[in-house]
Amino acid sequence: MKPLGFSTSPNLVLRLPMWRSRLMLFLLFFAFMMLLLRALWIQGPGNAFYEAKAIKGTQRELELSASRGKILDRNGQVIATSLEAKSIIAYNDAVPDDLAPVKIRQLAQLLQISESELRKKLRDERTQIFLKRQVEPQVAQAIKQLEIPGIAINTVYRRYYPEGEAMAHVVGFTNVEDRGQEGMELSYQNDLAGHSGKRKVVVDRLGRVVEEMAILQLPQNGKDLQLSIDSKIQYLAYNAVKNAVEQHHAKAGGAVVIDVQTGEILALANWPSYNPNDRRHLSGEQLRNRVLTDTFEPGSTMKPFTVSAALEKGIVQPSTSMAIGAKFLVGPKPITDTHPYGVLTVSQIIQKSSNIGTAKIALQMPPKDMWDLYTAVGFGQAPKIGFPGAVGGTLHPYQKWVPTDQARIAFGYGISTSLFQLARAYSVFARDGELIPLTIERSLGLKTGPRVMSAKTAIEMRDMLELVTEQGGTATKARAEGYRVGGKTGTSHKLSGKGYSANQYRAYFVGLAPLSAPRIVVAVMIDEPTRGSHYGGDVAAPVFSAIVGETLRTLHVVPDSTVKQMALKDFQIIDQATPTISAQKVVMKQ
Amino acid sequence: MNRATLSLLTLLLICALSLVAAQQKARKLFIEIERAQMEERRLNQEALRLEYDQRTLSKSARIQDSARNQLRMLPITPDRTLYLKEVP
Repeated sequence: MKPLGFSTSPNLVLRLPMWRSRLMLFLLFFAFMMLLLRALWIQGPGNAFYEAKAIKGTQRELELSASRGKILDRNGQVIATSLEAKSIIAYNDAVPDDLAPVKIRQLAQLLQISESELRKKLRDERTQIFLKRQVEPQVAQAIKQLEIPGIAINTVYRRYYPEGEAMAHVVGFTNVEDRGQEGMELSYQNDLAGHSGKRKVVVDRLGRVVEEMAILQLPQNGKDLQLSIDSKIQYLAYNAVKNAVEQHHAKAGGAVVIDVQTGEILALANWPSYNPNDRRHLSGEQLRNRVLTDTFEPGSTMKPFTVSAALEKGIVQPSTSMAIGAKFLVGPKPITDTHPYGVLTVSQIIQKSSNIGTAKIALQMPPKDMWDLYTAVGFGQAPKIGFPGAVGGTLHPYQKWVPTDQARIAFGYGISTSLFQLARAYSVFARDGELIPLTIERSLGLKTGPRVMSAKTAIEMRDMLELVTEQGGTATKARAEGYRVGGKTGTSHKLSGKGYSANQYRAYFVGLAPLSAPRIVVAVMIDEPTRGSHYGGDVAAPVFSAIVGETLRTLHVVPDSTVKQMALKDFQIIDQATPTISAQKVVMKQ
Repeated sequence: MNRATLSLLTLLLICALSLVAAQQKARKLFIEIERAQMEERRLNQEALRLEYDQRTLSKSARIQDSARNQLRMLPITPDRTLYLKEVP
């Protein structure tokens, strides 16, 4: 018998059913088909999702920061500027979950927060989170050196105000988002604010930019703003007001200086003030820009306008004499003066600030004539100088005036105005009857405005205002050495509850200088002086004097009044220092 | 035929390598320009900071304080001022 091989043994023949192999074949085919379909899906319709995932890891949109414009004074000195400050941002999708504890500890130390707080922030669901705003540049550098993936340093700007308290009410300040909140920062927000740009970049594993793909939006820096304010004059006005408030134990004070040739506001000072660089514990009192937002009854500072209206209509002349007397009865309450006068000329009525005299002049006019002039010089209307919150005060329509109103409005009761409006109104006397537009922006050149009274009346009134500061006037303390000055004092009772307070006053002085060719108008207000005299001539006039003298010297205005002849021995140095100027060309003014 | 394929393959290889090299160079240049721009920003900022410092040091309040208290200077008065006028 022929032996059978192992493989050919019929007993060992394995007969498998055909379906098993077919099933196997089908399953393999199916699995490959699934893989193929998945590949097709990933390449085709499902591609966007995966592409987005890939881009998220490597591409980023970064902000291109734009800086806010600077604010400069009239001489180009910086009074508000933006400086860089660094912010630390975490891109939580890029920060590794297994970040070394030592790095977390170092980062927390640098950021001056606790480790647990930092961990909480890094686990935050938001992909981008500020770890800290406005850190010092050295701290930012140290954080950068830690090289933690996903931790980025962003540049933001912080506003600084070098003049501090002296300029606070003029410039105002910005908030954390760099938006203007007060003063010029608020008024000129649109011009000052820059617009940040955006760019698309490719970053590497450590978050460093390796390629720029596109600039989506170009950044645009804010425009610089040049104001009409002179830092030096502003400082001396601020200082003079501050000293007066402290000396007289007053509640507050304000002053404004106007250049009457260009209509520029040279200084606008308030006390109490605040430091715009450190605005913790700010109170509303400190924030108030009293010069523009507080209205008050102007008291005697109103008299020049009443008398001007009468001069303009030819009702009186500066030399017209009038019987004054101790009392003048109009309505239920008699009008009185601080001292009884017998007979005064119109000029003396202004010089002595007689209420009775002014009321008597007023009652010779129809109310409309007075109202017309008051309105023409800007009372009752908010001045348009682009300052937030500038108020217009109240001037009731003349149709509603009864004789008592007319007599009292004539000397500044029953009408309200801001110190700024008052200063603007006095510019009419300085500009020979023209009311020029005022501005807070640098604006050179002689300005013109509508005529509201004749030059003759304005000049006559200037002469009367000079008398006020001379012997026998109410404000001899307003005199500034070397310059002829003129102005008017005012002292008014403050309103309290339903009537006037018996012992709360406001003291004012508004005036112009130098009188031979007026250059500036200065208005000063001291609120509630409690120590010593409360009269404008004693409280506000010295402030006026200090501001006028210094301002005119700063503006290089040559004195127009006789000054004490200088002793030549004091000026020996001049003799040595003049070779550059030809001796024939030099003459001494005085 | 074989030679042509080989030369094309070599050309392709050279092109691929030069592309990589060009990209590398572009990145390097980009990083350099980024660094230069950063430096420009930093210098601008420094200029602003110095301008601010100068302004803080030269503000009226500080000058007045130094003049009065350290240098013992007195305010000018008209009687001690010589006004010069140029004769036309």
